Amino acid sequence: MCSCNCEQPLVPSIVEVIDIVDETPDVRSFYVKCSEGGVPYSVQPGQCSMLSLPAGEGMFSCTWQEGNEYQHYAIKKVGLLTEELHSIEIGQKLGIRGPYGNGFPVEACKGKDMLFIAGGIGLAPLRSFIKYCFKHRDDYGKIDILYGSRSYADLCFKDELFNLWPQEKNTQVYVTIDNAEPEWDGHVGFVPSYLEELNPNPNGKIAVTCGPPIMIKFVLQSLEKMGYIDDQVITTLEMRMKCGIGKCGRCNVGSQYICVDGPVFTRTQLRQLPQEW
Amino acid sequence: MQVIDKNKIVPLLDRLSKQSEVFVPTVKGSESGFYSWNSLNGAKEIALEALNVYHSPKNVLFPQTERMYSIEQGKQVFSIPDTFQDEKSRIIFGIRACDAKAITCFDDVFLTHGYEDSFYATRRKNTIIIGNACYQPGANCFCSSMGINPVQPDADVVIHDAGTVYAWEAITVTGQQFTEQVQDLLEEKDLGLPQLKPFSTEFDYDGVVEKLQGMFDHEIWHELAEPCMNCGTCTYMCPSCHCFDIQVKIWGDKGYRFRCWDSCMYTEYTAEAGGGNPRPDSQDRFRNRFLHKLEFFTERYDYPLCTGCGRCISVCPNGINIIDIIKRIKEVDKIV
Repeated sequence: MCSCNCEQPLVPSIVEVIDIVDETPDVRSFYVKCSEGGVPYSVQPGQCSMLSLPAGEGMFSCTWQEGNEYQHYAIKKVGLLTEELHSIEIGQKLGIRGPYGNGFPVEACKGKDMLFIAGGIGLAPLRSFIKYCFKHRDDYGKIDILYGSRSYADLCFKDELFNLWPQEKNTQVYVTIDNAEPEWDGHVGFVPSYLEELNPNPNGKIAVTCGPPIMIKFVLQSLEKMGYIDDQVITTLEMRMKCGIGKCGRCNVGSQYICVDGPVFTRTQLRQLPQEW
Repeated sequence: MQVIDKNKIVPLLDRLSKQSEVFVPTVKGSESGFYSWNSLNGAKEIALEALNVYHSPKNVLFPQTERMYSIEQGKQVFSIPDTFQDEKSRIIFGIRACDAKAITCFDDVFLTHGYEDSFYATRRKNTIIIGNACYQPGANCFCSSMGINPVQPDADVVIHDAGTVYAWEAITVTGQQFTEQVQDLLEEKDLGLPQLKPFSTEFDYDGVVEKLQGMFDHEIWHELAEPCMNCGTCTYMCPSCHCFDIQVKIWGDKGYRFRCWDSCMYTEYTAEAGGGNPRPDSQDRFRNRFLHKLEFFTERYDYPLCTGCGRCISVCPNGINIIDIIKRIKEVDKIV
């Protein structure tokens, strides 16, 4: 590892963009490492980093960290900062600070069957957990991945979805798009209804979901209907953040700060919080 | 008991301000607040007898705008040449118990729970706090109801107004060391301290947190929030409101990132780039502010984020009164 600015948590370190890959028309993957080699700090699946260009900072879930080689962030163009990020080229220097948040309970899930349910850019945070499971394949049981997006073009990580992940042992990948398209012969419909159609048995399973807040809310309802108890259901939330270290105040849900107490919560924990996410 | 003659306060401040920036309560025309002693015209502007000055001294430790680090940009370049750590020695002289407690709140927010905010920590480490005990609470004061002892501020040294002298009480180790440095201005004297006069408002805060835990969706918030126009004045005047924004200023290829006070009253505070906003309505933000102060902060740090200074009551253009809100919350007997 090069340098983590642990003494001054609000001051970024500098990394360099070593590769940029288009995932969809508005999602781009950025691969970063320190100029002198290595990653600035180690990120666990589900944890986030504050990335910045001179014009501003934003919190992004780390999509994957490959050892000490690089960190990968898949970023959707939604606002001023992400628009600027989408205009940079390989070699650009970025500010980075972190890692922030609790991350997914990868240890506690060992020995379980895993059900990943994602919508749109919501696959970006889950991918870190999915890849972790594949890397430690024998520690986890059956892996089901259910992913949906507005259209075929909007599906992230297509090579993994259609080619790599289905090849992994004891793994099923289900993909759906919101509306029918001439070239698409897969499932059509929203993620929560496809989930209920598939009706995966809750026995010995942990469900992990991320997507637009409205999708998460319906998925949580569907899981409950299908017999998943609260401790079997995990989600990861996001809110606007500035500091990332639980000081600036804005990312609270009740007394919990998403940046330090989250972003990962079980359904049991979510129920104790106000419905303000 | 150690005392300092009131005539020796000016020589004391003159001496201290040679080594430190000394902030004292001051009345300047219609404005009052904590100002640097060196910027004042001596004794006539110091207002140690004033209760809550209009502006609390929160900007001494947590400046309204604070440069964090410089940045340089160019084609593909982004570097951070300097970090600004403010190591200047400071003394806050004559802080009241409510504002001193707000600094305790800041200490917990900025220095505990996993991360130490280096900007605050550096400034705090180099600041000595001299409290001024309150014996005559003001009209909007209610610190005692929030669990604060007005005659015993959280400070390194506490002074007590006893007529022609101040009783001088070193509280912390820092306070004892500080006292040794000014020993020649102190003398020993037997005297009695004044009696604390009654508060015009007192209420029992016990049970408010537990009550609020079941009131997030209560209809009372519609009514309580109705007069609020989200101007944010309460948050800026509050000694304990600590929320901040991080922004950038760039000219050409050079600039700096800074943080500045922010307010949970504003839509932009939680507005997300993707268009979402978890607190889109005025009422959502109003509720969050009061729940943060009265419930959430207690759940995190074990005491409320309100120190009973009464400033928000004095400055609210629409007459919103946190004491009334607490009383209304206590009166709610049925949880909907």
